Amino acid sequence: MTSLPPPTATNATHAAHAKGATKIYGTGDSEVRALDDVDVAFQRGKFTAIMGPSGSGKSTLMHCIAGLDSLTSGSVSIGDTDLSKLSDKALTQLRRDKVGFIFQAFNLIPTLTAYENIVLPLTLGKKKGDETWINRVIDTISLRDRLEHRPSELSGGQQQRVAIARALASQPDIIFADEPTGNLDSKTGTEVLTFMRRAVTDLGQTIVMVTHDATAASYADRIVFLADGKVAGEMFSPTAQKVLDYLKHLGE
Amino acid sequence: MLRLALKMTWARKGRLVLTSLAIILGTGFLSGTFVFRDTINQTFDRLFSDVFRDVDAYVRSTAFIELDFGGEQRAGTPISALETVRNVEGVVSATGDIQGFARVIGKDGKPLGSEGGGPPTFGSIASDDSAGLWSVVEGRLPNGPKDVMLDRATADNGEFIIGDTVRVIAARGAREFTLVGIASYGDISSPGGATFALFDQPTASEFLLEPGFVDAFLIEGDDSVSDEVLAQRIDAALADELKLETLTGAEITAEVQGQIKDVLNIFSTFLIVFSYIALGIGSFVIYNVFSITAAQRQRENALLRAIGASRRQVSRALLVEGTLMGVVGSLLGFAVGIGLSQLLNALLKATGFEVPTAGLAIKPGSLVNTMIAGVSVTVFAAWLPARRAGRVPPLAALRDTALDTAGNLKRRVIIGLVLIALGVVGLIAASNDAPIQVLGLGVLGVFAGILVLGPAIARPVALALGKPVAALRGVSGTMARQNAARNPKRTSRTAAPVLLGVALVTAFTALAASIRSEIRDTFGAAFSGDFALTVDSQGFGGIPLSVTDQIAGLDGVAQATGVGFTSVRIVDPNDTTVDPASMMRGNFVQTINPATIVGLFDLGVTEGDLSSLGRDGLFVDAGRATERGWQVGTRLQVIRIDGAVIDAEVRGLVSGETSFANYVASREMFADAPTPIFDSFVYIKAAQGAALDEVEARIAAISSDAGIGTLQSKEGFIDAQAAQVNQVLGLIYGLLGLSIIIAIVGIVITLLLSVFERRREIGLLRAVGMTRAQVRTTVRWESVITSLLGAVTGVVLGIVMGVVVVAALADDGDGITFRLPVTGTLVIVVISFILGVVAAIYPAWRATKVNVVEAISTT
Ligand SMILES: Nc1ncnc2c1ncn2[C@@H]1O[C@H](COP(=O)(O)OP(=O)(O)OP(=O)(O)O)[C@@H](O)[C@H]1O
Ligand SMILES: [Mg+2]
Repeated sequence: MTSLPPPTATNATHAAHAKGATKIYGTGDSEVRALDDVDVAFQRGKFTAIMGPSGSGKSTLMHCIAGLDSLTSGSVSIGDTDLSKLSDKALTQLRRDKVGFIFQAFNLIPTLTAYENIVLPLTLGKKKGDETWINRVIDTISLRDRLEHRPSELSGGQQQRVAIARALASQPDIIFADEPTGNLDSKTGTEVLTFMRRAVTDLGQTIVMVTHDATAASYADRIVFLADGKVAGEMFSPTAQKVLDYLKHLGE
Repeated sequence: MLRLALKMTWARKGRLVLTSLAIILGTGFLSGTFVFRDTINQTFDRLFSDVFRDVDAYVRSTAFIELDFGGEQRAGTPISALETVRNVEGVVSATGDIQGFARVIGKDGKPLGSEGGGPPTFGSIASDDSAGLWSVVEGRLPNGPKDVMLDRATADNGEFIIGDTVRVIAARGAREFTLVGIASYGDISSPGGATFALFDQPTASEFLLEPGFVDAFLIEGDDSVSDEVLAQRIDAALADELKLETLTGAEITAEVQGQIKDVLNIFSTFLIVFSYIALGIGSFVIYNVFSITAAQRQRENALLRAIGASRRQVSRALLVEGTLMGVVGSLLGFAVGIGLSQLLNALLKATGFEVPTAGLAIKPGSLVNTMIAGVSVTVFAAWLPARRAGRVPPLAALRDTALDTAGNLKRRVIIGLVLIALGVVGLIAASNDAPIQVLGLGVLGVFAGILVLGPAIARPVALALGKPVAALRGVSGTMARQNAARNPKRTSRTAAPVLLGVALVTAFTALAASIRSEIRDTFGAAFSGDFALTVDSQGFGGIPLSVTDQIAGLDGVAQATGVGFTSVRIVDPNDTTVDPASMMRGNFVQTINPATIVGLFDLGVTEGDLSSLGRDGLFVDAGRATERGWQVGTRLQVIRIDGAVIDAEVRGLVSGETSFANYVASREMFADAPTPIFDSFVYIKAAQGAALDEVEARIAAISSDAGIGTLQSKEGFIDAQAAQVNQVLGLIYGLLGLSIIIAIVGIVITLLLSVFERRREIGLLRAVGMTRAQVRTTVRWESVITSLLGAVTGVVLGIVMGVVVVAALADDGDGITFRLPVTGTLVIVVISFILGVVAAIYPAWRATKVNVVEAISTT
């Protein structure tokens, strides 16, 4: 597998992209280049995985593209919007309307029911949302009988499914997931991954997922490899075996 | 482990500060009042040692009466004995001294100094003898019946200059004098804000006391012998039948210092009690903070347990932390207290009560007391959470978030209800004449019950209160509602200071409203006149009887009668059981004019006829009579201040709230006393058909001429009597203020800790699109719901207590009925609302500062 030059960003086909993204933590001796001049774009309607060794900058890249954190230099855009030009309020609104999130754990507000958690971004923006769409999402995660339960009354896999439903509810331009299956057993993990795959294939969503797991990555359409804050390579239509081989090769 | 505990404490300096804040607040009030008390005591100590610096001996009468409210009233000393004293070997000078009642009338016709409550207004002697207390700063000493000298502060306040005519009112009525001099007392212009009118001795005796008498002699010796020897010589020279005693300068200084201290101590004891209450309420905050932090550290403690720490080690680590915070907080609190005492001083100065401060008095005792109180309250508050921390199962290290449940709800409800039931039984018992302690225990039981019950009711009440918030404020409101309800223990403890303050205030406001309406009814029925002239000076001066008689003689006045108060000793010659030490104790007597009172003011006579009083009759309160086994016809001895013994007879009984003292005597009984009596109230009825406004104007003219008294219409008078209850309410509002301050600090601390605890949640909310404003709204409404929870439960509790207490009082035959103070209650709820908003400002701001990336990436 050879690494391809990074695709040039064209907004019609790209849900998000970063150009020359650099993120530096600390100064002087303690300086850490978490991201070092990264150019990357995520295609609309595709499931992209980001892989790389621990500390390679995967989470940082995701946080910066999602507007949770700011770059030291370079730019990121969601759709046509350049994030660096946005105020905190506008960024918040953008996250609410255009971006969905799934974290490794602690995705849900413990005081709200599953349903309230799902529609949270909509209610925060005082929107009703598309009811047919929400119903379809709920049916897809098959948790209709658990909607009035609190997160503490759901299993880990169920909680992650609710989190995915929440990310989908507002029909965002792009969904970011940071190790969404990291805390789950393989069966529940498969369940969640299958569901994410369907969200892309059947519902036409765009998902970017950070993962360490080759099997999880094999659900994606494309894998972007990071190492030392740089894009180290790319793979299309991956299988678990291909990924493992590539990682071995990367480690050499 | 101790080193580890200290290290762990140090690692959380921020929380150290938060917890300490609660301790600082509690101990600050306490040490503030300690320092304030010591400073004032020290000031007066110095003042009086200065004042009596040149006095080597002091002669006074041995006849005196201890007054009900502290202090004593002594018979006069005949000036004729002064020559004898002057001739004693070793005496350089001897001079008479009088401290009598006198008020200086300002140029605008209004009296200077305050009537009643404020610092006293004195008339005194200024003479050229070196033992005199006054030093002339301008003009000369008074000499003759037309001369007066004023203290500098009074002269300045009244804008008097030498040569001005000054009107002064005293026991013998109002007179005009010429200002011949201005003096200072020791080094200060006016001690304690009092006013002084100074005369030569014969004028002072005649105008303030009785011709030929002074209060005491001030004597200066030539220092050839010790003060003790000098005093003995003087005592030996004075004839026994004069009933005089001689004290040394040191003795009289110590005595006066002691008396002043007694008076001041009533005030400071009161403040200190307040401070202890504040510390008590503050201990809830301290307890709450420890509970929360212990819960937040559950994982850490569980980890310690998992790797082999024993329960005791974990508990002890927390106790060490508690002790450390107690020490640090109390020390800081002491420093804050010194500042507070200065504030208190400034406040007093602003209200015109100038306390000349001779520097701060910071005594080791105050520091020790503050430290003991602060540290023990803190350790006590840390005890339970520390024990609980030790019981954390090691497995909890693997669990996710801190759990804080209300525990065994059923047990809580049962224990709480039992405590409340016991409390109510106590209250009911108290209403059936059980001792007052039972009432206190009852109140305590109810409070304890509510606090145990708190966590059980906090959730449903918070949810109910939050319902409109959730409906109005969308997700932010819903989250606020859920947050307020999610840790019922925490919420109820945070609301506890609000609850306690509000419950007390509601109960007392309800009680006061009930008593007020009762007073209104009683006075409305008893007083059948048109006007009342009143003076609010308890036991010191008042309306001269001549003024009362002058009003009675006015054109258009049908009837006018005066009622006054004085102290005597009442001795039952047949009662041998009375402890001799209490024999000196004075009794308050109401002095009336039997000839004019009937038909104008009803004292509630149940037996006898007031016209039978005469010079040697007494009417006694029916309750007191029963208690002492007296009845009409019982013979008692009345001993006046001048020592005169009057063989008196009980000629009737009174009962009712319009009789202000247990004894009633005719003013005739005191007609020949050297110390004149005054009226405190003059009740006036206009003649039939007289124009009321004209009559009022005439009375007003006399009153302002005399420079004394407030003229009120019947309604005004009744209102004023009812309003006296408000003074007590003022104190209760002070308590509310204190608990509000503590409640705000408590809510702020709890919210900050909650924000810290929920920063992941807040980060997540921000990540999925919650704006900063929405985050603020959430925190603010959680705070408001918590505060309102305290207010609502407090109001309910207060009303229950009010009803029970009023019912208890009504059983005494006072017939008062419970009245709900609607406005007061609404005000309290609004205040709590504002309190919630204010307390949330800083924590809400902190919540918006949560770093999203950090919050969601911490595991
Ligand atoms: N707040 C921070 N301050 C300093 N350095 C940081 C901070 N956050 C991340 N880093 C550093 O930036 C680099 C990239 O971190 P990042 O969290 O993006 O790695 P990652 O690829 O997500 O790793 P993992 O697979 O372990 O989650 C690391 O070297 C990390 O130490
Ligand atoms: Mg990561």
